[in-house]
Amino acid sequence: MTDWTGFLELDLEKRQGRTVAKNVYFQGAFKVMRPIYHNNYSYPCYYLLNPGGGYLDGDTYRMKVTLDEGAQLTLTTQSATKVYKTPNKEAYQETEFHLKKDSYLEYLPDALIAYQDARYFQKNTVYMEKGATLLYTDILTPGWSPEGKQFSYNHLRLINEIYMDNELIAFDHINLNPGAQEIGGLGFMEGYTHLGSFIVIGEKTDSALLDLLYETIGEEAADIKAGLSELHIPGFTIRVLANSTQVIERIFTACHHVISNEWYQMKPSFLRKY
Amino acid sequence: MIDRSLSLFQLCDSNFPTGSFSHSFGLETYIQEGIVHDKESFSRWLKVYLHEQLVYSDGLASRLAYEALVEDDLDKVWELDRLLTVQNLARESRDGTQRMGDRMLNITEELYKIPVTSQYRRRIKEKQSFGHSALAFTIVGYHLHVDKETTILYYLYSTITALVQNAVRAIPLGQTTGQQIIHEFQKELVVATDKVMQLKKINFGIVSPGLELSQMKHERVNIRIFMS
Repeated sequence: MTDWTGFLELDLEKRQGRTVAKNVYFQGAFKVMRPIYHNNYSYPCYYLLNPGGGYLDGDTYRMKVTLDEGAQLTLTTQSATKVYKTPNKEAYQETEFHLKKDSYLEYLPDALIAYQDARYFQKNTVYMEKGATLLYTDILTPGWSPEGKQFSYNHLRLINEIYMDNELIAFDHINLNPGAQEIGGLGFMEGYTHLGSFIVIGEKTDSALLDLLYETIGEEAADIKAGLSELHIPGFTIRVLANSTQVIERIFTACHHVISNEWYQMKPSFLRKY
Repeated sequence: MIDRSLSLFQLCDSNFPTGSFSHSFGLETYIQEGIVHDKESFSRWLKVYLHEQLVYSDGLASRLAYEALVEDDLDKVWELDRLLTVQNLARESRDGTQRMGDRMLNITEELYKIPVTSQYRRRIKEKQSFGHSALAFTIVGYHLHVDKETTILYYLYSTITALVQNAVRAIPLGQTTGQQIIHEFQKELVVATDKVMQLKKINFGIVSPGLELSQMKHERVNIRIFMS
């Protein structure tokens, strides 16, 4: 595939204690805004945006982000990713992250909204070197249809593959197909509408942090179902079933604060968007 | 001549000591939450577990491993071992499959002295591989010249019957009810095996959110008789 609907390349390096761009290239329906250094932190926050307003039939997007040794980045979107109906061919997005030694990436995109009859395939591949840290979240909403019917999209497939020093260390495959599954039922969404995932890979992971996160999630007052578990390498996954994007965002923000505080004695940036 | 299917059937016996009686793979969470409490609710859980998790992980891996063994492509088998392990994001379930795989490999090595099994064990010892019962079972099936489809069917059968036995103890259900469920599940197992035979590789490792959550939540379940 050479004709991408949107293509974006972002390479960052650490120069004199500050993370700066080495290469920023984009074309088509994928863009980043000028970076913002929130709170005068030494690393930038980049906001991704989709000038077309959403993903259409057969659209293909590719993003490649490279962090050199010690570089740090917050990457987010300017608003929710919207996938419209795809009568002929699913919309596709692939993302590749290359995280060199001791680099740090937090990739915190807004929720994914798939409209009626939408089909979407997203594949994230992360290549990490030892010492690198990854924080990744995603939120899947039930979508939207003119009749107000939930889960009216056709098909969502999201695959995350994470490699450490070229060895596969985590593989996550969510495949929601409301036409073929009893999507609301036992084993699937279990009566909830939104699914959030938070994947963290970091050498400082320990069971004390997990206990703390478990407590933090427990403080959420809304009706949710959540689980967290350690990976076989230092890292963990949090999954949340809830009934709104805001609730999952609130839980993930609280968890993000705990992680930043425990590991770096820092506060995460507030990602002003609206 | 010993019937080869009969030899493979030995591995499906719930007395075959792999430790499957210690693992509920999230079922216990549903039991504690009162969601699974009788024959109907358990059957509903078991169906989802079989058709929406097992086929995409153990089932598809078993088929791909069998095909790799036919082609003598052992690297592919080791790759599947890693995939099966790292796609299991719930620690207890992942540890459970490793432990059960390890025990199945130990026993079947004693029984059959299959070189691939010996190599698999060596790799686990050297931390190059993790161990998984679906692959240990498939190696024996291939070794015994049991065909691919039957090997997968038997493997799924062994997993399902172990879970029924566990449900009989944990819910609890009557022994006869347990046998009724196993009987009713014979057609489900055929459907699941057909599905595995037709699945595309891209579908590997699909997980149902609720099932996975219950497997993660089990770590924090108060009173527990299972390790996962």
